Amino acid sequence: MSKQFLLAAEGVTKSFDGFKAINDLNFYLDKGELRTIIGPNGAGKSTFLDLITGRTRPDTGTIEYKGTPLTKLREYEIYRLGIGRKFQTPSVYSDHTVFENILLGLEGSRSVWPSIFSRIKPEQRERIYEVLKTIGLADKAELKAGTLAHGQKQWLEIGMLLAQNAELLLVDEPAAGMTDEETAKTGELLLSLAGKHTIIVIEHDMVFVRQLGSKVTVLHQGHVLCDGSLDQVQADERVIEVYLGRKKKH
Amino acid sequence: MTFASLVHADESETAARQSAARAILAPESEQATIVQDMAANPSPVLGPIFEAWQRSQVYIYEAPDGARIPFLLMPADGSAAKAMRIDNGEPLVGPDGAPITVDETVMKPVETFAKLRRAMRSTMDLLALADPAPATRQSAILKLGMKQSPEALPILNARLAKEQDKAVKNGILDSIALINLASPDPQLQIDALNQLKKSNSIPSRELVAKMAADESLSPKVRAAAVSTLKAIDNHLFWVDFFGTMFRGVSLGSVLLVVALGLAITFGLMGVINMAHGEIMVVGGYATYLVQCIFGSGVALAPFGISVNLPGFGFDPNSGIYQSYFLFALPVAFLSAAAVGVLLERGVIQFLYRRPLESLLATWGVSLVMQQLFRLIFGPANAPVYSPAWLLGSFSVGDVIMNYNRVFVIIFAVAIVVGTSLLLAKTPVGLLIRAVMQDRTTAACMGVRTRKVNTLTFAFGSGLAGLAGAFLSQIGNIGPSTGQTYIVDSFMVVVVGGIGNLIGTVISALGIGTVDQILQTSLRNPVIGKVLVLVGIILFLQWKPSGLFATKGRGLEN
Amino acid sequence: MKQEVSKKEVLIGAIVALFLIAVIPGLNAFTPAGSSLHVSDFNINLWGQYLCLAIVAVSIDMLWGYTGLLSLGQMLFFSLGGYALGMHLMLMIGKLGQYKSDLPDFMVFLGYTKLPAHWEPFAHFWFSALAVLWVPGVVAFIFGYLAFRSRIRGVYFSILTQALTYAACLLFFRNELTLGGNNGFTDFKTLLGFDLGAPGTQRGLYIASAVALVLVYALCRWLTLTKFGKVQRAIRDSENRVLFSGYAAANFKLFVFVLAGMIAGLAGALYVPQVGIINPSQMEPAKSLEAIVWVAVGGRASLIGPIIGAIGVNGLKSWASQAFPAYWPIFLGAMFVVVVLFMPRGVVGLPAQIQEAWRRHKRAKEAAAEAAATATQVPKDSQS
Repeated sequence: MSKQFLLAAEGVTKSFDGFKAINDLNFYLDKGELRTIIGPNGAGKSTFLDLITGRTRPDTGTIEYKGTPLTKLREYEIYRLGIGRKFQTPSVYSDHTVFENILLGLEGSRSVWPSIFSRIKPEQRERIYEVLKTIGLADKAELKAGTLAHGQKQWLEIGMLLAQNAELLLVDEPAAGMTDEETAKTGELLLSLAGKHTIIVIEHDMVFVRQLGSKVTVLHQGHVLCDGSLDQVQADERVIEVYLGRKKKH
Repeated sequence: MTFASLVHADESETAARQSAARAILAPESEQATIVQDMAANPSPVLGPIFEAWQRSQVYIYEAPDGARIPFLLMPADGSAAKAMRIDNGEPLVGPDGAPITVDETVMKPVETFAKLRRAMRSTMDLLALADPAPATRQSAILKLGMKQSPEALPILNARLAKEQDKAVKNGILDSIALINLASPDPQLQIDALNQLKKSNSIPSRELVAKMAADESLSPKVRAAAVSTLKAIDNHLFWVDFFGTMFRGVSLGSVLLVVALGLAITFGLMGVINMAHGEIMVVGGYATYLVQCIFGSGVALAPFGISVNLPGFGFDPNSGIYQSYFLFALPVAFLSAAAVGVLLERGVIQFLYRRPLESLLATWGVSLVMQQLFRLIFGPANAPVYSPAWLLGSFSVGDVIMNYNRVFVIIFAVAIVVGTSLLLAKTPVGLLIRAVMQDRTTAACMGVRTRKVNTLTFAFGSGLAGLAGAFLSQIGNIGPSTGQTYIVDSFMVVVVGGIGNLIGTVISALGIGTVDQILQTSLRNPVIGKVLVLVGIILFLQWKPSGLFATKGRGLEN
Repeated sequence: MKQEVSKKEVLIGAIVALFLIAVIPGLNAFTPAGSSLHVSDFNINLWGQYLCLAIVAVSIDMLWGYTGLLSLGQMLFFSLGGYALGMHLMLMIGKLGQYKSDLPDFMVFLGYTKLPAHWEPFAHFWFSALAVLWVPGVVAFIFGYLAFRSRIRGVYFSILTQALTYAACLLFFRNELTLGGNNGFTDFKTLLGFDLGAPGTQRGLYIASAVALVLVYALCRWLTLTKFGKVQRAIRDSENRVLFSGYAAANFKLFVFVLAGMIAGLAGALYVPQVGIINPSQMEPAKSLEAIVWVAVGGRASLIGPIIGAIGVNGLKSWASQAFPAYWPIFLGAMFVVVVLFMPRGVVGLPAQIQEAWRRHKRAKEAAAEAAATATQVPKDSQS
């Protein structure tokens, strides 16, 4: 491999109780790229993100980020390399205020002692409000995150990744449960981040995928089926079979 | 020397009595010899006579006609002990034919002295050789062998010719070999060592070890001794090993029976029931009550109200009383299950998916239950008697197996097999598994999850009740009995992994065995137990979710 | 959740602190015994004990209420602190013991002729006083390190902490540990040269307990307001999110666990000279669970709740276990069940809970009235 990818997964396999969730997966991502991963249920999309972020460990294969192997690191160590993740179901701290949620995501020290003795600096406060403005929650800063609407929680979680200034953003179904309007807004948000950050989006909503207009990778049975633009992919015989073939059985 | 069993039993008894009387009347210098010679004429009547003599309960009656009649005092119910003639076993009567009453406090017993007592003991040992019970013969033979006196050889050989029991026969061969160990003939010594090696005789170990270290012996003999010692040590290791394993498996079975109900309620339902131990105790008390009802009834005084439960009044030795336990099992199961239903409906149903809260609330319940037990049954342990068939032991190749430990294992196997069959093969089991795996889906499919929850909890509690019935047979049942098992049984479930019966079985047996191994090797039960707990903490480092983990897909699992 | 400490809070805190530290012992020392304001020596001693238990309750709250770690072994650390000071107190008995020996009585009884080496440094008060903190701290660190490193969470953590205190309890019952076996330590005579039987000494211990409680409260209150406190609560609410936000949650939990262990140790050390005894029964799992009851009843995640709970429940216990000894355990158990089921925020949270329930009730009533109003307007719609 002559070229240095930002993220490179090679020959990755992971099985749960004999079921191969990821099967000899090879995946490469360039710096600054926006990539969408699609695939039917059980294709291994979320498991793939679990493997990158250290939530589960692969049985075989390597995953490297900027040349650093990730497979032995713990979740927070991987995070500290600059990889942030938004989960499928929004997971924010519901008992904390919106402001505090972003504060906890803010880049900076993550150790015990500084957390006790450091105060919030004015520039940190500014940064937090900047992020809140980006995700459109500036006026809700003092509300408890638990009181937010579903879509707002999704944005808040993305906001936490922004505050972290992660280089690689892993975004799992950001549009799930959103209204069309919210979905469009989420798409705009992600597009505005592309370039500055490298982003992997997992999505089912084809309208949303089209809006992102990025390169698409299709996963099927834990393996990359094909990749290319959305149009190319949708024209691919195998993809049609995977999607439509499944539909016939219903 | 002739052997007495050639003679008719009655004749031999009379002869034995007469020689005993002769010995008592004989001058001190001759007594010991007469007693020793009596070994040639073994009769069961001699045992009590010698015992009485040693306890200074043999006296001499001077009849008016000048005859001196030795007699002993039979233990009697009344105030005056009955006197029995030693020479014929008849009651001692005066010339008028009326029984003679004896005042122990004024009569002087026939004296004994050390040499005589020794002679009596060794004669009694020889007498035991002809005892009808093989176990008694066996131990008498061994005792004889351990003395290593060559005089016993002809006696043993004679017995060998007659002995029918194979185990006792081997015992005689061993004892002969033991005696021959001390022989001056090296060939005899080597043969003896080979015999002991063949039979892996544990009692001979010390003697053989001494020979193996004795430099005055010929090299050949020593070599044989070393090889025998090695064989015996090897055998001993395996006996210890299997003994420990057996005890470990039986302790593991206790843990398993106790933890099984918990594995159902905690493992399958995610409810931490700290009152599990108390539900178990309900089963124990139910067993106690059944026992009382089979016997003479019981009077209880809960909250100052006196309640008298009448009993059937069966004789404690009768078969029906001995089998009360079988009747107690269903009662224990049902009463514990009923308490379980109350607990589930009253408290736990509000706390599904809130395990920490369920833990705390059920601990509150356990406090209440403990105190209720105290108020109803009193603070002391309930006296539950084990049936006679649970006492005693047998041995397999020198490994001693107690019946109650065997019972524990059989009970555990039965209860585990029963539970897994119920879960795997019956419609009820299917419902339980369905709800536990995916509550929402099951509800969508029309399963009445509330009912299944109650049912599952009742079943888990019923199993706890069985465990309580079972514990009442091997331990105590008291108000705080449940507390002593709760930590252990949670450990079993945690190590086994949630929601997995096989994990629970392996973990219970594993913890039980490790516990026994540590206890045996450290000779300290507490340190062993502490090490087991430390070991469990370290084990969870390696497998944080137990032996058999189930994985979920959500973030918060 | 309040972000800053308001002036009002500081003021109220200062008044309560002053009352506890100065007024109550003042009433004990300077009012005549017959006076209606007088606080008896007995009550000073009793309240000193309550305050120590309140300190334990605060430590439990830091773990359970704020970090979501339900430790069922907090009384172990309490006992370790008690034993650490108890060793010093035992050595201070000197020849006043029954056997008139320099060795503690139980050692004479067990046939010791020389003080075991690990006892020697405890002859110094400063060493014992430090051990009160570091012994529980080290035990908490080792256990916490292992438990948190392997992600033992939730009920597993609870069960293991229970096993820990159970194991320690079994161990301390043994004479080999040279810690007095099942009798533990008792018959203390002096501390720092003061006669432990004198009312003045007991008053001093009461004041020390009150000061400790105020300081511990202030420390914990301050901690919960820092970013550390926010991470703490974040771990409680969504530990995985915390991990994926780059925090080594295990380190934070370990910090709280060790801190709480040391606080409990301090409480134990203050408690022991006031009750005059420490033995392994303090480590029985039930004792730690009882301490959880105080926190649950008072109201967790509020710091003031556990204090109220500890004092309230123990006050009730002192009275009820005299008045109704047979029914007290039933009452305690039932109270716990009721609190867990119906008062998740304890006594302290009760007003808010009632308010919410009232509001919900009113809203439901309004909604019902509204629905009724609409229904009368368009009856057809409501039927469909």
